[in-house]
Amino acid sequence: MLVLRLGWRNLWRNPRRSVISISTMATAFVILALFLAMMAGLVRQLLDNGTGLMLGHLQLHHPEYLPDRSYFDTLGGDDGIDLQLCRQLESDPLVEAASVRLYAFALLSTGEHSAGAQVIGVDPPSEARVTMLLDGLTDGRGLEGEPMGRILLGEGLARELKASAGDEVAALTQAADGSLGNDLFRMAGVLRTGISHLDRSLAVTHFSDLQSLMAFDQDRAHEIALRLTDPLQADGFSLRYNSAGDRIEGTQASSWGELSPQLRDYLNMADGMYGFLIGLIGIFAALGVLNTMMMAVFERSREIGTVAALGMSPSKILLSFMAESFYLSLIGVSAGFVLSLLLLIPLTSQGIDLSKWIGEMSIMNARMDPVIIFEWPWTAFLWSAIGLTGASLLASALPARRAARMNPVEALGARKDS
Amino acid sequence: MRFSRLRIPLLTLAIAATALPVQAQDVLDPKEIVDRVDRIMRGDSSHGVLEMSVVTKRWKRTLSLEIWSMGTEKSLIRILKPKKEAGTATLKVEDDIWNYLPKIDRTIRVPSSMMGGAWMGSHFTNDDLVKHSRLVRDYDIDVAFSGQREGVEVWEFELTPLPDAAVVWGKILYQVRQDDLMPVWARYYDEDDELKRTLLFDDYQRMGGRLIPARMRMVPSDKPNEFTQMLYSGLEFNLEISDRVFSLSALRK
Repeated sequence: MLVLRLGWRNLWRNPRRSVISISTMATAFVILALFLAMMAGLVRQLLDNGTGLMLGHLQLHHPEYLPDRSYFDTLGGDDGIDLQLCRQLESDPLVEAASVRLYAFALLSTGEHSAGAQVIGVDPPSEARVTMLLDGLTDGRGLEGEPMGRILLGEGLARELKASAGDEVAALTQAADGSLGNDLFRMAGVLRTGISHLDRSLAVTHFSDLQSLMAFDQDRAHEIALRLTDPLQADGFSLRYNSAGDRIEGTQASSWGELSPQLRDYLNMADGMYGFLIGLIGIFAALGVLNTMMMAVFERSREIGTVAALGMSPSKILLSFMAESFYLSLIGVSAGFVLSLLLLIPLTSQGIDLSKWIGEMSIMNARMDPVIIFEWPWTAFLWSAIGLTGASLLASALPARRAARMNPVEALGARKDS
Repeated sequence: MRFSRLRIPLLTLAIAATALPVQAQDVLDPKEIVDRVDRIMRGDSSHGVLEMSVVTKRWKRTLSLEIWSMGTEKSLIRILKPKKEAGTATLKVEDDIWNYLPKIDRTIRVPSSMMGGAWMGSHFTNDDLVKHSRLVRDYDIDVAFSGQREGVEVWEFELTPLPDAAVVWGKILYQVRQDDLMPVWARYYDEDDELKRTLLFDDYQRMGGRLIPARMRMVPSDKPNEFTQMLYSGLEFNLEISDRVFSLSALRK
């Protein structure tokens, strides 16, 4: 392993230059690692918030329910389904929780004021295990554990109706039998989702309350939302479910990616940026290596001439330079890795608070938290290391080849330095 | 305009005598005709009973309704049957609509954002209650056709919304029989000139001393098998109705 030893020794011939190159490499790695960790954190947040507010990871509907959301297209069609089957779904190891939902468009009124609202009927404890919908309670006691006939109003809707917790709210809707479904509710709180159009239109009530308002039988529901143990397996789950013979009759599964293609595109785009960024930083790091190695070849041409004259084969000469750059990037990447670990320990636990700069924002119907918790980007680490090392090897190939091709006579006579 | 009842047959006689339909346009302003058609159907005040049948893909139901109206501004519609919904009522005063629901004993004002929504689950919208009585105010009216259709002398009016009118239709075509000013149909088009729904009038009968189309049927173009039909069984005009009938307190009778 003469070549490796040669490479290692040569690396420290000009320690200052090598250290600078190693630092460049380390810095490149740290930048990549931090940035990718932040992106991964953002993506995780986007996925969690995007699916966590209402979407869930997977939804079951009547096959014709989407996209029109006609209120007659309930799960299982006109006959409905046994909603206890929902519990059966939860026995799948991939399914964490399931929540049955009913939707209605209703006119809500507090006497003087009235407004149209999208009313969702849920079983509060089940819904809480699937989404964060009910977490945004800002006023009042919420639905869970409260008697029937309670309703939560989105913040904007509550404002429009001039209603506060405890107030009476009349609801009017077109019932399934054509009559005017109407009932009185007691407002049990204000919901704040952070998505302004939802806050203006959303109301949540007990599942069975909405069922009776709509004159639906007990086995009618529009949607079952599922929370999976791994959201990234939703596509596979929906594919399997829809082709399985034992699926609940008259139902069809759609993954979050199918339900919200924008969210999926957005995440894919973020993924695509990884490669782009690794490539870009890799090029900069490679230019640094190229410079170092070219200088090394240039400086040592006499020496190269000597070893060549003594009979060292050109391929060994080439490999010794490559080995030098390999060590350079290895040390650089390792140093960068250690540094990244140190930096990421607080960043992955406490995150970084951007609220001073960006305030509250939402992307793709998902509220974004101004505190970004970084995510350990283990695969990104691997790819950054491979990318940077590869780039530096590639960059050193050119000067190394030049060294290997040197004519010993010319090299010896070429320069009389030092 | 007390003279109008006599004047119409006289005018139509005159038109028939000269046998020059073109002159009809000269004699009568189309706006005035449409206004007159409307007045025949409404009178200064009216009180009637009708049966409303709504047929959709999913359900079919028939309601018995009682209607009071005063001028163009006020009307009250109350469900008499079926028993489950009896007492449910709609009050219209100028541009506002309230629904009273006896089950919860509450009155709900329909917000402007929901005026386009179905009225009582029918194919009529809340807007229809408000806007139908002011075609003359919201539309520019031209005679698109005057002559025979299926052996009957008719006018076909084209109603195009005035620039500042807040209406949902891009155009309305309205066919009216020339000899008795009875409406035959109204076709409602959207802004892209696509037919959205058709209102058909027939079963012309004398009620309350006037000839009226006892049956009206609204058919949505995208669901040709669905319709809402209003069939009058009794109608009286120009009676004394107390203003209090059209009040929120009377609504919860």
